[in-house]
Order: sequence, then structure tokens, then C-alpha cells
Amino acid sequence: MFNENAEVILEANHITRKFPAAGGKTLLANNDISLKLYKGKTLGLVGESGCGKSTFMRFLVMLDKPTEGEILFQGKDLTKLKGEELRQFRRHIQMVFQDPANSFNPKLRIRDIVCEPLMNFGLITKEEKDAKCRELLEMVELPGDFADRYPHNMSGGQRQRVAIARALALHPEILILDEATSALDVSVQKTVIDLVTKLQREKGITIGFICHDIALVASCAHQVAVMYLGNLVEVLPGDELHTRAVHPYTKALMGSIFDINMDFSKPIESIDSEAPSPLDVPAGCPFANRCDSCMEICKTERPVMTDYAPDHQVACHLFKNSSL
Amino acid sequence: MLKFNNVTISYGNNPTVKDFSLHVEQGQVVSLVGESGSGKTTVIRAALGLLPGGGKVTDGDILYNGKSVLTLSDAQWRKMRGTEISMIFQDSGAMMNPTKKVGDVFVEYLQTHEKISKKDAWNKGIMMLEKMRLPSGDNIMRSYPFQLSGGMRQRVGIAMGMTYSPKLLLADEPTSALDVTTQAQIVRQMMALRDVYGTSIIVVTHNLGVAAYMSDYIVVMKHGVIEDQGDRDHILHHSENEYTRKLLEAVPSLGGERYV
Repeated sequence: MFNENAEVILEANHITRKFPAAGGKTLLANNDISLKLYKGKTLGLVGESGCGKSTFMRFLVMLDKPTEGEILFQGKDLTKLKGEELRQFRRHIQMVFQDPANSFNPKLRIRDIVCEPLMNFGLITKEEKDAKCRELLEMVELPGDFADRYPHNMSGGQRQRVAIARALALHPEILILDEATSALDVSVQKTVIDLVTKLQREKGITIGFICHDIALVASCAHQVAVMYLGNLVEVLPGDELHTRAVHPYTKALMGSIFDINMDFSKPIESIDSEAPSPLDVPAGCPFANRCDSCMEICKTERPVMTDYAPDHQVACHLFKNSSL
Repeated sequence: MLKFNNVTISYGNNPTVKDFSLHVEQGQVVSLVGESGSGKTTVIRAALGLLPGGGKVTDGDILYNGKSVLTLSDAQWRKMRGTEISMIFQDSGAMMNPTKKVGDVFVEYLQTHEKISKKDAWNKGIMMLEKMRLPSGDNIMRSYPFQLSGGMRQRVGIAMGMTYSPKLLLADEPTSALDVTTQAQIVRQMMALRDVYGTSIIVVTHNLGVAAYMSDYIVVMKHGVIEDQGDRDHILHHSENEYTRKLLEAVPSLGGERYV
């Protein structure tokens, strides 16, 4: 029940994003998504490739604008910002990408990479760069001497730490991690998650964490949102995910995880069919054609997000009438 | 059936895999796990004579049914690959010619291995695709690789690899590029191959959960040497190797340790 004592820092209301596609079709990447980010908490966004999770997070860092909907942050609608005001707002929300090898300029030294945001906003002078860089590198548990290196002289985990140092250089209120650990080995992934959660506790940063690994999300998010084909299907607290998730898709996702503590004598559960193309989403519930409990209404009417339990919403006709 | 005897594999003068020994029995599933750069892919590539440029087995021997594979001629290799041993790659789409339809690639593959008319080969392809539970095989044969989803491409790769019911299947990160629900389907399919045809499988993966589910025997590699090995139960629950423990602890688990 975290939202009683947590303050809403960002609110996305009815976000829809359509992309034009070949043949006059439209691709519905986000369909009526409403989510809240709470101060100092982590929102984990899970789903399979192409479900629209990155599309949504890109709105929060203002790399793209939704077709419809609003995103409220500090009393402003982020989707309406322009010019210098937009530039200033970027300081509040920063992002770490999946592959830092591709998001860094290979010709810059780590010092210049880490201090670039600070220099852009005129917050430090050239002379202060070295000291500031050391301080930031030490914050992410890297030796200060790395300032003289180039990105290609570092391992993937080290580069990801540099990306985190750079993102936090401006003291943002919100940090977006887009599959930030997916390219790393498991033991490195663990140390990066340890670092991020430690920094979150120290600085009270709000985190938006995009990830396809539902077990990892469950272990490090306060609030988990599950997406399928551009639609939000379930939102619930992270610590309740494995016990209280009810949506058939969330359950299918969890059933198909290979866990080292699972019962190996039981065959792995999974849905057999393929997800439909996002260009051709079924009329009713997007999950209808793969769902075991599909009813007549599911094929014609799209379910909307309804309260299922405290802090727990689900979009499924099965749970429409259940009382709290 | 496949034996690695103290194999050392080098690129140039750098030994990448050192003193690797492993014995795979008929019908056994063995997995090689380890982090990037631990040499796990190099090992299975060596077993199929597919080491990339400059890679060579410099010490030890690899025996298939008692015969060394290191001295095979190109013609002997061609006979062996696909019929005795076949391989599934991380992205089967990348091994197909992007300018050719799946069916043309499949027909070419079949005609390399046996004397068969184009029409028969086409039908045989459809039959194999349907065995891999790919519906409307004819449609898939007439598609280009990029028109298929990752899971479908992977199943086409497995269908091709399994056409001649090879006795040994080498799988290099077969599910790493796939979504979890698709991964579960592919793993199920590979296990069915073992159960139905008695195929031995060596699977290279960094996903310890998949390795644990599939294998009878697990080999943990680090920096080119075997760090730990044993049957599944031993590795998961009784291993005292520090590295193995560290890897296992790092795997996130539903309902397991929480960071927040």
C-alpha cells in the first residue's frame, strides 16, 4: 500500500500513440495508457517485444510526443513544452539506454562524456571537470582514473555505470532505465541493480524501469505495469506480483519463466500461439485469441482498467464485477 | 558418442579454451553455461569444424563415435553436418539468405544432402515445418526470412536442422533473442526431439534457468576453462564452487530476494 504515503511525482493520462504504417494502416503503439510515478519509487514496465513499453517511456524523456493524452510533471504538461522551457525540463528526467557502447560518442573520453550534461547547462567550468568527473565515477563505484579512458576500453558493466553517472550528473528527479541491464551477464546485472537501488535510497530518485525479464522487475520495482500489444493489462505492487497477479497474460508471462528453483519434473507452461501483429490488433481484448478463459464479450468489447484490489488494477472482463 | 579429450583451442597464439574435456552420451542433454567470453561457443563450434578464421584445435582430440573429427576432409564434413550433427544458431534468420525465400533455402539445403526433385523437396520442407508446429507451412515456404517473427525463424532453423534426424544437436544460444513465451515454446520443442528421437543435445546458454530446465549435465565455464561441472542437482544445490554459487545467486527469481 505504498501510494498512501507516497506522493505522485508524474502522472500520464490517457496516452495514445499512433504511427502511420504502409498501406494506409495505423500502428497503435500505445492505447490509452494511464500511469503514475511515485516519488522515490520504481515503476517497472514489462511486456514482450513490440508491446509499446519503450514508446511510452520515450514520452517521459520528451524524445517523442503522444498523439493524444497528457503527462503532468511539476504542474506542467510535458507534451506541450517547447524551446528553452523544454530544454530546462530535460534536467529533471534523464535516461540510461540498453547499450551504452552505442549511446556514447566513441571519440570522447569518459571525462567529457560524464560532464557533457553539466557543461551544456553551464553548471561547471572546464577546470572543475576533472574533480566533478572523479566524484561522479566514485558515486557509481568506479575508480576516478577511468576519466581518461575511452568507452571501448571498458567492459559492458563499467560502461553502464558510466551511463548512470552521466544520467545522474544533473540530479534528476526521475531516471528512466530502458533495458539497462539486458545486455549484461547475470552477475554484472546484479551489481548494477544493487548500485541503482542503493542510489535510489540515498537520493530518493524515482525510477522508470523498462525490462522484459518479469522476475527481475518483480525483485526491484515497487509498482509493476504489464503491457501487451500497446495496452496496459495489469498494474500491481511488485512484491505481490508472484502471488496476486490475476490477468491471464501476466500469468502466462510468469508461467514461461525458467527458474533455477522450479520443479523440473513439470513441463513448462506457455501459450502456444504467436502474438498478433500490432497492425492488426483484434477488435475486443487484445489478448483474446491466445487466452484460455476467452468469453464471447472478449471478442467484441475491449476491457478497461478497473480497480481489483488496493493498488491493483486489471483490464480483463473476468474481473469486472469483483468487489474490493 | 561425442568426446572432448583435453582440448585446447587457440586463435593465433592465444589459447581461448584450455584443457576442455567432456563426454556426451546418446540421448543426453548437456549445457555449457558461463558469461560472455568464457569460450562456450568456441567449444561447440570446434565440434562441428566451424571455428571462425584462425581458430584451431591445438591440443587434444574431439572424437565422434570413436573417430577423430579433426582430420576430416571437407567432403567428409559435408556428409556429416546436417545428417549426423546439426546446429541451431542464435538467430536462424541470419543464416538464411535474405534475398531468397525460406522455401528456396530449404530446398537448396535438402538437395545438397540427397538426390531429390525440387517438388519433393518442397513438400518435405512443408512436412518438417508442420512437425515443428508451424501452421500453414506452404505460406512460410513462400515468405522471406524478414517476414517471419523471431520465434518462427527459430523454428524454421530447427526444422532444417532436424530433417535428417541427426544424432547430435548443437544449439548456440537458441532462445536468447526470443521473448519469454516464445522461449518456452522453443525449449519445449527441443526437449520433444530428445524424447522422441533420442537426440543428444549440447546447448550453449547464459540463461541458467533454461540450462537447469533442459539439461542432465551442466558445465560451468569461465575464461576458457571448466570451472565446475556435474549433474543438474549437484550444480544447483550441492556445488561448493564459489563462481557457480555466485552465478546462481545473481539469477533473479520470482518471489525471491527483493532489492527494494
